[in-house]
Amino acid sequence: MNRFLMGGMLAVLGALQAPAQNQAQNQNPAQITVAFSNPSQPRKLVVKTMMHRVSIKGYDGKDAIVESSAISERRRRERSIPPGMHPLNVGGGGIEVTEANNVVTVSAESMFGGGDIQIQVPVETSVMVNTLNNGVNVENISGEIDVESVNGPVSITNSSGAVLATSVNGKVTVALDKVAPGKAMSFSTMNGTIDVTLPADIKANLKMKVDNGDVYTDFDVKVTNDTFDTAQSNTGRGVRIRGNKTTYGTINGGGPEMQFTTFNGRILIHKK
Amino acid sequence: MTCEEAKTRMTDYWSRTLGEAGETEFNAHLASCEACQSEVSRVGALWQGLDLLPLEEPSGKVRDRFYEMLGAYRQGLAAAEAPPAKRWWSMPAWQLAAAAGLVAVGLGIGYGVRGNGQPPAEVSQLREEVANMRQLVALSLMQQQSASDRLRGVSWAYRAEPSDREVLGALVSAVNHDANVNVRLAAVDALRRFSASPETSRAALQSLSKQTTPIVQAALIDLLVELKDPEAAPELRRLSGSETANEGVRQKAQWALERLQ
Repeated sequence: MNRFLMGGMLAVLGALQAPAQNQAQNQNPAQITVAFSNPSQPRKLVVKTMMHRVSIKGYDGKDAIVESSAISERRRRERSIPPGMHPLNVGGGGIEVTEANNVVTVSAESMFGGGDIQIQVPVETSVMVNTLNNGVNVENISGEIDVESVNGPVSITNSSGAVLATSVNGKVTVALDKVAPGKAMSFSTMNGTIDVTLPADIKANLKMKVDNGDVYTDFDVKVTNDTFDTAQSNTGRGVRIRGNKTTYGTINGGGPEMQFTTFNGRILIHKK
Repeated sequence: MTCEEAKTRMTDYWSRTLGEAGETEFNAHLASCEACQSEVSRVGALWQGLDLLPLEEPSGKVRDRFYEMLGAYRQGLAAAEAPPAKRWWSMPAWQLAAAAGLVAVGLGIGYGVRGNGQPPAEVSQLREEVANMRQLVALSLMQQQSASDRLRGVSWAYRAEPSDREVLGALVSAVNHDANVNVRLAAVDALRRFSASPETSRAALQSLSKQTTPIVQAALIDLLVELKDPEAAPELRRLSGSETANEGVRQKAQWALERLQ
Protein backbone atom coordinates (compact mmCIF):
# COMPACT_ATOMS: atom_id res chain seq x y z
CA MET A 1 0.00 0.00 0.00
CA ASN A 2 1.23 3.39 -0.93
CA ARG A 3 0.45 5.97 1.65
CA PHE A 4 0.89 9.69 1.30
CA LEU A 5 0.16 11.72 4.37
CA MET A 6 -0.01 15.43 4.05
CA GLY A 7 1.12 17.48 6.98
CA GLY A 8 3.57 16.88 9.76
CA MET A 9 3.37 13.18 9.14
CA LEU A 10 5.30 13.41 5.90
CA ALA A 11 8.32 12.56 8.02
CA VAL A 12 7.02 9.05 8.67
CA LEU A 13 6.96 8.14 5.03
CA GLY A 14 8.96 4.97 4.57
CA ALA A 15 11.44 4.06 1.89
CA LEU A 16 8.67 2.48 -0.18
CA GLN A 17 6.93 5.79 -0.63
CA ALA A 18 10.02 7.83 -1.28
CA PRO A 19 9.81 7.81 -5.11
CA ALA A 20 6.22 9.00 -5.10
CA GLN A 21 7.05 11.69 -2.60
CA ASN A 22 9.84 12.97 -4.77
CA GLN A 23 7.51 12.93 -7.70
CA ALA A 24 4.98 14.97 -5.75
CA GLN A 25 7.57 17.53 -4.72
CA ASN A 26 8.69 18.07 -8.27
CA GLN A 27 5.24 19.18 -9.22
CA ASN A 28 2.87 21.92 -8.22
CA PRO A 29 3.17 22.29 -4.44
CA ALA A 30 -0.60 21.96 -4.11
CA GLN A 31 -0.70 18.71 -6.04
CA ILE A 32 -0.20 15.01 -5.34
CA THR A 33 0.02 12.33 -7.99
CA VAL A 34 -0.81 8.78 -7.02
CA ALA A 35 -0.49 5.77 -9.29
CA PHE A 36 -3.06 2.99 -9.32
CA SER A 37 -1.20 -0.16 -8.33
CA ASN A 38 -2.72 -2.23 -11.13
CA PRO A 39 -3.65 -0.03 -14.10
CA SER A 40 -5.11 -2.92 -16.11
CA GLN A 41 -7.66 -3.76 -13.41
CA PRO A 42 -10.84 -1.79 -12.57
CA ARG A 43 -9.96 1.42 -10.74
CA LYS A 44 -11.87 3.17 -8.03
CA LEU A 45 -11.68 6.61 -6.48
CA VAL A 46 -13.21 7.19 -3.06
CA VAL A 47 -13.55 10.73 -1.71
CA LYS A 48 -14.75 11.52 1.80
CA THR A 49 -14.89 15.09 2.94
CA MET A 50 -16.78 17.31 5.32
CA MET A 51 -16.16 20.84 4.11
CA HIS A 52 -14.55 20.78 0.68
CA ARG A 53 -16.09 21.23 -2.71
CA VAL A 54 -15.10 18.21 -4.81
CA SER A 55 -14.49 18.25 -8.56
CA ILE A 56 -13.59 15.05 -10.34
CA LYS A 57 -12.65 14.94 -13.98
CA GLY A 58 -11.80 12.02 -16.22
CA TYR A 59 -8.62 12.58 -18.23
CA ASP A 60 -6.45 10.75 -20.67
CA GLY A 61 -3.85 9.49 -18.23
CA LYS A 62 -3.29 6.67 -15.79
CA ASP A 63 -2.73 8.26 -12.38
CA ALA A 64 -4.92 10.03 -9.88
CA ILE A 65 -3.90 13.68 -9.60
CA VAL A 66 -5.20 15.41 -6.48
CA GLU A 67 -5.00 19.17 -6.25
CA SER A 68 -6.14 21.32 -3.37
CA SER A 69 -5.32 24.53 -1.60
CA ALA A 70 -5.46 22.41 1.53
CA ILE A 71 -2.30 20.68 0.35
CA SER A 72 -0.29 23.88 -0.12
CA GLU A 73 -1.73 25.26 3.11
CA ARG A 74 -0.47 22.18 4.82
CA ARG A 75 2.97 22.51 3.30
CA ARG A 76 3.09 26.20 4.24
CA ARG A 77 2.44 25.22 7.83
CA GLU A 78 5.22 22.67 7.70
CA ARG A 79 7.67 25.33 6.58
CA SER A 80 6.64 27.54 9.50
CA ILE A 81 7.73 25.02 12.09
CA PRO A 82 9.90 26.98 14.58
CA PRO A 83 13.62 26.08 14.36
CA GLY A 84 14.62 23.20 16.55
CA MET A 85 11.04 22.12 17.13
CA HIS A 86 8.86 19.44 15.61
CA PRO A 87 5.07 19.33 15.37
CA LEU A 88 3.28 17.22 17.94
CA ASN A 89 -0.16 17.90 16.61
CA VAL A 90 -1.08 20.01 13.64
CA GLY A 91 -4.65 21.31 13.43
CA GLY A 92 -7.29 20.42 10.89
CA GLY A 93 -7.40 21.12 7.21
CA GLY A 94 -5.27 18.21 6.14
CA ILE A 95 -5.89 15.86 3.30
CA GLU A 96 -4.98 12.21 3.29
CA VAL A 97 -4.46 10.39 0.01
CA THR A 98 -3.97 6.64 0.07
CA GLU A 99 -3.90 3.87 -2.49
CA ALA A 100 -4.68 0.21 -1.81
CA ASN A 101 -5.86 -2.55 -4.15
CA ASN A 102 -6.42 -0.11 -6.99
CA VAL A 103 -8.61 2.12 -4.83
CA VAL A 104 -7.39 5.68 -4.33
CA THR A 105 -8.94 7.23 -1.24
CA VAL A 106 -8.92 10.97 -0.67
CA SER A 107 -10.17 11.95 2.74
CA ALA A 108 -10.45 15.34 4.38
CA GLU A 109 -12.70 14.65 7.31
CA SER A 110 -11.86 17.63 9.46
CA MET A 111 -14.69 20.02 10.27
CA PHE A 112 -12.34 22.96 9.61
CA GLY A 113 -10.78 24.26 6.48
CA GLY A 114 -12.59 24.11 3.20
CA GLY A 115 -11.95 25.16 -0.37
CA ASP A 116 -11.73 22.92 -3.37
CA ILE A 117 -10.38 19.46 -3.99
CA GLN A 118 -9.79 18.81 -7.66
CA ILE A 119 -9.08 15.29 -8.75
CA GLN A 120 -8.23 13.92 -12.15
CA VAL A 121 -8.52 10.20 -12.78
CA PRO A 122 -8.59 8.02 -15.90
CA VAL A 123 -12.00 8.18 -17.60
CA GLU A 124 -12.68 4.50 -16.85
CA THR A 125 -12.68 4.82 -13.09
CA SER A 126 -15.48 4.15 -10.64
CA VAL A 127 -16.10 7.11 -8.42
CA MET A 128 -17.60 7.25 -4.95
CA VAL A 129 -17.97 10.61 -3.20
CA ASN A 130 -19.34 11.40 0.22
CA THR A 131 -19.50 15.02 1.29
CA LEU A 132 -21.26 17.02 3.96
CA ASN A 133 -21.30 20.76 3.40
CA ASN A 134 -20.31 21.37 -0.17
CA GLY A 135 -21.06 20.45 -3.73
CA VAL A 136 -19.74 17.69 -5.94
CA ASN A 137 -18.92 17.92 -9.64
CA VAL A 138 -18.13 14.86 -11.70
CA GLU A 139 -17.18 15.17 -15.34
CA ASN A 140 -16.22 12.76 -18.11
CA ILE A 141 -16.29 9.51 -16.14
CA SER A 142 -17.40 6.18 -17.62
CA GLY A 143 -17.26 4.05 -14.46
CA GLU A 144 -19.98 3.71 -11.86
CA ILE A 145 -20.67 7.05 -10.15
CA ASP A 146 -21.99 7.03 -6.62
CA VAL A 147 -22.30 10.48 -5.04
CA GLU A 148 -23.81 11.56 -1.74
CA SER A 149 -23.90 15.10 -0.44
CA VAL A 150 -25.85 16.50 2.49
CA ASN A 151 -25.92 20.24 1.97
CA GLY A 152 -24.45 20.70 -1.46
CA PRO A 153 -25.58 20.32 -5.05
CA VAL A 154 -24.50 17.28 -7.03
CA SER A 155 -23.63 17.65 -10.69
CA ILE A 156 -22.56 14.86 -13.00
CA THR A 157 -21.91 15.78 -16.64
CA ASN A 158 -20.49 14.26 -19.84
CA SER A 159 -20.45 10.88 -18.21
CA SER A 160 -21.61 7.43 -19.25
CA GLY A 161 -21.51 5.19 -16.21
CA ALA A 162 -24.29 4.01 -13.95
CA VAL A 163 -25.20 6.86 -11.61
CA LEU A 164 -26.51 6.87 -8.06
CA ALA A 165 -26.72 10.43 -6.78
CA THR A 166 -28.31 11.84 -3.67
CA SER A 167 -28.40 15.04 -1.70
CA VAL A 168 -30.48 16.32 1.18
CA ASN A 169 -30.56 20.03 0.53
CA GLY A 170 -29.08 20.30 -2.93
CA LYS A 171 -30.08 20.06 -6.54
CA VAL A 172 -29.10 16.91 -8.43
CA THR A 173 -28.06 17.49 -12.04
CA VAL A 174 -27.01 14.59 -14.22
CA ALA A 175 -26.22 14.59 -17.96
CA LEU A 176 -25.25 11.28 -19.51
CA ASP A 177 -23.79 10.99 -23.01
CA LYS A 178 -24.51 7.32 -23.16
CA VAL A 179 -25.55 4.69 -20.71
CA ALA A 180 -23.99 1.33 -19.94
CA PRO A 181 -26.70 -1.20 -20.84
CA GLY A 182 -28.46 -3.00 -18.03
CA LYS A 183 -27.42 -0.57 -15.31
CA ALA A 184 -29.95 0.58 -12.72
CA MET A 185 -29.75 4.19 -11.60
CA SER A 186 -31.23 6.36 -8.91
CA PHE A 187 -31.37 10.11 -8.26
CA SER A 188 -32.78 11.52 -5.07
CA THR A 189 -32.92 14.65 -2.96
CA MET A 190 -35.06 15.92 -0.12
CA ASN A 191 -35.08 19.59 -1.04
CA GLY A 192 -34.15 20.29 -4.59
CA THR A 193 -34.78 19.73 -8.24
CA ILE A 194 -33.67 16.57 -9.98
CA ASP A 195 -32.56 17.44 -13.49
CA VAL A 196 -31.49 14.45 -15.58
CA THR A 197 -30.52 14.36 -19.26
CA LEU A 198 -30.48 10.93 -20.89
CA PRO A 199 -29.57 9.69 -24.37
CA ALA A 200 -32.59 9.71 -26.72
CA ASP A 201 -32.36 5.96 -27.35
CA ILE A 202 -32.22 4.88 -23.71
CA LYS A 203 -34.41 1.96 -22.70
CA ALA A 204 -35.58 2.32 -19.14
CA ASN A 205 -38.33 1.77 -16.62
CA LEU A 206 -38.96 5.00 -14.79
CA LYS A 207 -40.14 5.36 -11.24
CA MET A 208 -40.74 8.98 -10.34
CA LYS A 209 -41.83 10.11 -6.93
CA VAL A 210 -42.34 13.69 -5.88
CA ASP A 211 -44.20 15.02 -2.85
CA ASN A 212 -44.33 18.75 -3.49
CA GLY A 213 -43.65 19.25 -7.15
CA ASP A 214 -44.18 17.85 -10.61
CA VAL A 215 -42.48 15.73 -13.21
CA TYR A 216 -41.61 17.13 -16.65
CA THR A 217 -40.05 15.40 -19.61
CA ASP A 218 -39.65 15.70 -23.38
CA PHE A 219 -39.27 11.92 -23.70
CA ASP A 220 -42.16 9.89 -25.01
CA VAL A 221 -42.88 8.19 -21.69
CA LYS A 222 -45.43 5.44 -21.65
CA VAL A 223 -47.01 5.69 -18.24
CA THR A 224 -47.65 2.19 -16.92
CA ASN A 225 -49.46 0.75 -13.98
CA ASP A 226 -47.58 0.17 -10.84
CA THR A 227 -47.14 -3.62 -10.91
CA PHE A 228 -47.65 -3.49 -7.17
CA ASP A 229 -51.23 -2.22 -7.61
CA THR A 230 -52.32 -5.44 -9.25
CA ALA A 231 -50.51 -7.50 -6.66
CA GLN A 232 -52.23 -5.62 -3.93
CA SER A 233 -55.70 -5.86 -5.40
CA ASN A 234 -55.12 -9.62 -5.54
CA THR A 235 -54.56 -9.68 -1.80
CA GLY A 236 -57.87 -7.89 -1.31
CA ARG A 237 -56.46 -5.05 0.70
CA GLY A 238 -58.61 -2.49 -1.02
CA VAL A 239 -57.65 0.84 -2.49
CA ARG A 240 -54.22 2.12 -1.70
CA ILE A 241 -53.94 5.58 -0.20
CA ARG A 242 -51.03 7.66 -1.28
CA GLY A 243 -50.02 11.02 0.03
CA ASN A 244 -47.68 11.60 -2.85
CA LYS A 245 -47.55 11.15 -6.56
CA THR A 246 -45.57 8.24 -7.91
CA THR A 247 -45.48 7.82 -11.64
CA TYR A 248 -44.28 4.67 -13.34
CA GLY A 249 -43.43 4.63 -17.00
CA THR A 250 -41.23 3.22 -19.71
CA ILE A 251 -39.04 4.83 -22.34
CA ASN A 252 -38.33 3.02 -25.62
CA GLY A 253 -40.05 -0.15 -24.47
CA GLY A 254 -38.54 -0.30 -21.01
CA GLY A 255 -35.29 -1.53 -19.48
CA PRO A 256 -33.39 -1.24 -16.23
CA GLU A 257 -35.00 0.73 -13.46
CA MET A 258 -34.36 4.45 -13.04
CA GLN A 259 -35.59 5.92 -9.83
CA PHE A 260 -36.23 9.66 -9.30
CA THR A 261 -37.21 10.81 -5.82
CA THR A 262 -37.64 14.29 -4.41
CA PHE A 263 -39.69 15.68 -1.55
CA ASN A 264 -39.62 19.40 -2.34
CA GLY A 265 -38.71 19.99 -5.93
CA ARG A 266 -39.31 19.17 -9.53
CA ILE A 267 -38.20 16.24 -11.60
CA LEU A 268 -36.96 17.13 -15.07
CA ILE A 269 -36.04 14.37 -17.50
CA HIS A 270 -34.50 15.73 -20.70
CA LYS A 271 -33.85 13.95 -23.95
CA LYS A 272 -30.31 14.60 -25.18
CA MET B 1 43.34 -46.60 -30.15
CA THR B 2 44.03 -45.76 -26.54
CA CYS B 3 42.40 -47.52 -23.57
CA GLU B 4 40.26 -44.41 -22.94
CA GLU B 5 38.91 -44.50 -26.48
CA ALA B 6 38.29 -48.22 -26.23
CA LYS B 7 36.24 -47.80 -23.04
CA THR B 8 33.91 -45.28 -24.67
CA ARG B 9 33.28 -47.73 -27.48
CA MET B 10 32.64 -50.82 -25.42
CA THR B 11 28.88 -50.49 -25.29
CA ASP B 12 28.77 -50.01 -29.05
CA TYR B 13 30.90 -53.10 -29.42
CA TRP B 14 28.54 -55.19 -27.30
CA SER B 15 25.49 -53.95 -29.09
CA ARG B 16 27.31 -54.45 -32.40
CA THR B 17 26.91 -50.95 -33.68
CA LEU B 18 30.58 -50.11 -34.24
CA GLY B 19 30.56 -50.98 -37.89
CA GLU B 20 33.04 -53.27 -39.61
CA ALA B 21 36.00 -50.91 -39.60
CA GLY B 22 35.34 -49.88 -36.01
CA GLU B 23 35.11 -53.46 -34.88
CA THR B 24 38.38 -54.39 -36.57
CA GLU B 25 40.13 -51.47 -34.90
CA PHE B 26 38.58 -52.34 -31.53
CA ASN B 27 39.61 -55.97 -31.79
CA ALA B 28 43.12 -54.86 -32.68
CA HIS B 29 43.28 -52.83 -29.48
CA LEU B 30 41.90 -55.71 -27.39
CA ALA B 31 44.65 -57.99 -28.80
CA SER B 32 47.28 -55.52 -27.67
CA CYS B 33 45.77 -54.61 -24.26
CA GLU B 34 45.15 -57.20 -21.61
CA ALA B 35 43.26 -54.88 -19.22
CA CYS B 36 40.72 -53.93 -21.83
CA GLN B 37 40.38 -57.52 -22.94
CA SER B 38 39.50 -58.74 -19.42
CA GLU B 39 37.00 -55.91 -18.92
CA VAL B 40 35.26 -56.64 -22.20
CA SER B 41 34.88 -60.31 -21.38
CA ARG B 42 33.72 -59.61 -17.78
CA VAL B 43 31.12 -56.95 -18.51
CA GLY B 44 30.33 -58.44 -21.92
CA ALA B 45 29.06 -61.62 -20.23
CA LEU B 46 26.63 -59.52 -18.17
CA TRP B 47 25.58 -57.66 -21.29
CA GLN B 48 24.82 -60.87 -23.14
CA GLY B 49 22.99 -62.15 -20.08
CA LEU B 50 20.68 -59.15 -20.23
CA ASP B 51 20.03 -59.95 -23.85
CA LEU B 52 18.83 -63.41 -22.94
CA LEU B 53 16.08 -62.11 -20.64
CA PRO B 54 12.72 -62.62 -22.31
CA LEU B 55 11.10 -59.41 -23.55
CA GLU B 56 7.93 -58.61 -21.61
CA GLU B 57 4.95 -58.63 -23.94
CA PRO B 58 2.03 -56.36 -22.92
CA SER B 59 -0.99 -58.50 -22.14
CA GLY B 60 -4.47 -57.67 -23.44
CA LYS B 61 -5.39 -56.34 -20.00
CA VAL B 62 -2.92 -53.51 -20.31
CA ARG B 63 -4.90 -52.09 -23.19
CA ASP B 64 -8.16 -52.26 -21.21
CA ARG B 65 -6.57 -50.71 -18.17
CA PHE B 66 -5.17 -47.88 -20.26
CA TYR B 67 -8.56 -46.96 -21.70
CA GLU B 68 -10.16 -47.23 -18.28
CA MET B 69 -7.59 -44.80 -16.94
CA LEU B 70 -8.04 -42.43 -19.85
CA GLY B 71 -11.79 -42.45 -19.30
CA ALA B 72 -11.39 -41.67 -15.63
CA TYR B 73 -8.93 -38.91 -16.43
CA ARG B 74 -11.34 -37.36 -18.90
CA GLN B 75 -14.11 -37.50 -16.34
CA GLY B 76 -11.93 -35.87 -13.75
CA LEU B 77 -10.95 -33.23 -16.25
CA ALA B 78 -14.57 -32.48 -17.08
CA ALA B 79 -15.41 -32.19 -13.39
CA ALA B 80 -12.48 -29.88 -12.82
CA GLU B 81 -13.41 -27.72 -15.78
CA ALA B 82 -16.98 -27.22 -14.62
CA PRO B 83 -17.04 -23.95 -12.66
CA PRO B 84 -17.72 -24.35 -8.95
CA ALA B 85 -21.38 -23.97 -8.09
CA LYS B 86 -20.86 -20.87 -5.97
CA ARG B 87 -19.22 -18.96 -8.76
CA TRP B 88 -22.06 -19.84 -11.09
CA TRP B 89 -24.68 -18.54 -8.65
CA SER B 90 -22.91 -15.31 -8.11
CA MET B 91 -22.76 -14.36 -11.79
CA PRO B 92 -25.69 -12.00 -12.28
CA ALA B 93 -25.54 -12.31 -16.07
CA TRP B 94 -26.08 -16.06 -15.87
CA GLN B 95 -28.85 -15.69 -13.41
CA LEU B 96 -30.58 -13.06 -15.45
CA ALA B 97 -30.26 -15.10 -18.60
CA ALA B 98 -31.48 -18.25 -16.90
CA ALA B 99 -34.36 -16.48 -15.23
CA ALA B 100 -35.36 -14.70 -18.43
CA GLY B 101 -35.17 -18.01 -20.29
CA LEU B 102 -37.36 -19.74 -17.74
CA VAL B 103 -39.85 -16.89 -17.79
CA ALA B 104 -40.01 -17.14 -21.58
CA VAL B 105 -40.48 -20.91 -21.47
CA GLY B 106 -43.09 -20.50 -18.76
CA LEU B 107 -45.00 -17.93 -20.76
CA GLY B 108 -44.82 -20.05 -23.89
CA ILE B 109 -46.19 -23.11 -22.14
CA GLY B 110 -48.74 -20.99 -20.31
CA TYR B 111 -50.12 -19.64 -23.56
CA GLY B 112 -50.01 -23.07 -25.16
CA VAL B 113 -52.19 -24.70 -22.54
CA ARG B 114 -54.47 -21.75 -21.93
CA GLY B 115 -58.16 -22.57 -22.09
CA ASN B 116 -57.64 -26.27 -21.46
CA GLY B 117 -59.04 -26.18 -17.96
CA GLN B 118 -56.69 -26.80 -15.03
CA PRO B 119 -53.02 -26.09 -15.68
CA PRO B 120 -51.04 -29.31 -15.76
CA ALA B 121 -48.62 -30.11 -12.98
CA GLU B 122 -45.64 -29.24 -15.19
CA VAL B 123 -46.81 -25.65 -15.45
CA SER B 124 -47.14 -25.14 -11.73
CA GLN B 125 -43.78 -26.77 -11.25
CA LEU B 126 -42.32 -24.43 -13.84
CA ARG B 127 -43.91 -21.47 -12.10
CA GLU B 128 -42.26 -22.51 -8.90
CA GLU B 129 -38.92 -22.76 -10.63
CA VAL B 130 -39.35 -19.30 -12.10
CA ALA B 131 -40.16 -17.96 -8.66
CA ASN B 132 -37.06 -19.64 -7.24
CA MET B 133 -34.95 -18.19 -10.00
CA ARG B 134 -36.25 -14.69 -9.38
CA GLN B 135 -35.55 -15.08 -5.70
CA LEU B 136 -32.04 -16.18 -6.49
CA VAL B 137 -31.42 -13.25 -8.80
CA ALA B 138 -32.79 -10.75 -6.31
CA LEU B 139 -30.84 -12.18 -3.38
CA SER B 140 -27.52 -12.47 -5.15
CA LEU B 141 -27.69 -9.05 -6.78
CA MET B 142 -28.49 -7.45 -3.45
CA GLN B 143 -25.13 -8.69 -2.16
CA GLN B 144 -23.00 -7.19 -4.89
CA GLN B 145 -20.33 -4.61 -4.21
CA SER B 146 -21.59 -2.29 -6.90
CA ALA B 147 -24.43 -0.10 -5.66
CA SER B 148 -25.95 -0.13 -9.14
CA ASP B 149 -26.08 -3.94 -9.05
CA ARG B 150 -27.69 -3.87 -5.62
CA LEU B 151 -30.25 -1.43 -6.97
CA ARG B 152 -30.97 -3.91 -9.75
CA GLY B 153 -31.36 -6.66 -7.14
CA VAL B 154 -33.94 -4.56 -5.33
CA SER B 155 -35.93 -4.09 -8.52
CA TRP B 156 -35.88 -7.86 -9.04
CA ALA B 157 -37.50 -8.17 -5.61
CA TYR B 158 -40.68 -6.74 -7.16
CA ARG B 159 -40.93 -9.93 -9.17
CA ALA B 160 -40.58 -12.25 -6.20
CA GLU B 161 -43.58 -14.00 -4.71
CA PRO B 162 -45.32 -11.79 -2.11
CA SER B 163 -44.88 -14.67 0.32
CA ASP B 164 -41.12 -14.98 -0.23
CA ARG B 165 -39.67 -14.46 3.23
CA GLU B 166 -36.07 -14.66 2.11
CA VAL B 167 -36.45 -11.78 -0.32
CA LEU B 168 -38.39 -9.85 2.31
CA GLY B 169 -35.56 -10.44 4.79
CA ALA B 170 -32.97 -9.27 2.29
CA LEU B 171 -34.98 -6.13 1.57
CA VAL B 172 -35.37 -5.32 5.26
CA SER B 173 -31.64 -5.81 5.69
CA ALA B 174 -30.99 -3.48 2.73
CA VAL B 175 -33.33 -0.84 4.18
CA ASN B 176 -31.48 -0.96 7.49
CA HIS B 177 -27.91 -1.54 6.48
CA ASP B 178 -27.15 -0.72 2.86
CA ALA B 179 -24.44 1.93 2.68
CA ASN B 180 -26.09 3.68 -0.24
CA VAL B 181 -29.04 6.04 0.28
CA ASN B 182 -30.50 5.32 -3.15
CA VAL B 183 -30.42 1.56 -2.56
CA ARG B 184 -32.12 1.99 0.83
CA LEU B 185 -34.75 4.18 -0.79
CA ALA B 186 -35.50 1.65 -3.51
CA ALA B 187 -35.64 -1.16 -0.94
CA VAL B 188 -38.27 0.72 1.09
CA ASP B 189 -40.35 1.04 -2.04
CA ALA B 190 -39.95 -2.64 -2.87
CA LEU B 191 -41.21 -3.59 0.60
CA ARG B 192 -44.67 -2.65 -0.65
CA ARG B 193 -44.63 -5.86 -2.64
CA PHE B 194 -44.78 -7.65 0.72
CA SER B 195 -47.53 -5.56 2.26
CA ALA B 196 -49.63 -8.64 3.03
CA SER B 197 -47.03 -9.88 5.50
CA PRO B 198 -47.33 -8.49 9.04
CA GLU B 199 -43.53 -8.48 9.27
CA THR B 200 -43.31 -5.77 6.66
CA SER B 201 -45.05 -3.19 8.75
CA ARG B 202 -43.07 -4.14 11.85
CA ALA B 203 -39.78 -3.91 9.97
CA ALA B 204 -40.70 -0.54 8.45
CA LEU B 205 -41.57 0.86 11.85
CA GLN B 206 -38.36 -0.43 13.41
CA SER B 207 -36.34 0.97 10.58
CA LEU B 208 -37.99 4.38 10.83
CA SER B 209 -36.67 4.75 14.37
CA LYS B 210 -33.14 4.02 13.14
CA GLN B 211 -32.92 5.89 9.83
CA THR B 212 -31.32 9.30 9.77
CA THR B 213 -31.48 10.07 6.04
CA PRO B 214 -34.53 12.32 5.47
CA ILE B 215 -35.55 11.00 2.06
CA VAL B 216 -35.51 7.39 3.37
CA GLN B 217 -37.46 8.43 6.47
CA ALA B 218 -40.06 10.07 4.23
CA ALA B 219 -40.36 6.91 2.13
CA LEU B 220 -40.83 4.78 5.25
CA ILE B 221 -43.57 7.09 6.51
CA ASP B 222 -45.36 6.76 3.15
CA LEU B 223 -45.13 2.99 3.45
CA LEU B 224 -46.52 2.93 7.00
CA VAL B 225 -49.47 5.08 5.93
CA GLU B 226 -50.09 2.73 3.05
CA LEU B 227 -50.01 -0.26 5.38
CA LYS B 228 -52.38 1.56 7.76
CA ASP B 229 -50.35 0.46 10.73
CA PRO B 230 -51.88 2.02 13.88
CA GLU B 231 -48.77 1.05 15.86
CA ALA B 232 -46.81 3.61 13.88
CA ALA B 233 -48.52 6.50 15.67
CA PRO B 234 -46.14 6.87 18.65
CA GLU B 235 -43.05 6.91 16.43
CA LEU B 236 -44.69 9.35 14.02
CA ARG B 237 -45.61 11.59 16.93
CA ARG B 238 -42.05 11.51 18.17
CA LEU B 239 -40.71 12.39 14.71
CA SER B 240 -43.19 15.18 14.10
CA GLY B 241 -42.02 16.84 17.30
CA SER B 242 -38.34 16.03 16.97
CA GLU B 243 -36.02 19.01 16.75
CA THR B 244 -33.27 17.03 15.10
CA ALA B 245 -35.48 15.66 12.34
CA ASN B 246 -35.50 17.27 8.93
CA GLU B 247 -38.27 19.84 8.40
CA GLY B 248 -39.78 17.83 5.54
CA VAL B 249 -39.74 14.65 7.63
CA ARG B 250 -41.56 16.44 10.47
CA GLN B 251 -44.23 17.67 8.05
CA LYS B 252 -44.60 14.23 6.59
CA ALA B 253 -44.91 12.59 10.02
CA GLN B 254 -47.60 15.08 10.98
CA TRP B 255 -49.45 14.41 7.73
CA ALA B 256 -49.16 10.65 8.31
CA LEU B 257 -50.58 10.92 11.82
CA GLU B 258 -53.69 12.60 10.45
CA ARG B 259 -54.03 9.89 7.84
CA LEU B 260 -53.76 7.07 10.33
CA GLN B 261 -56.41 8.44 12.67
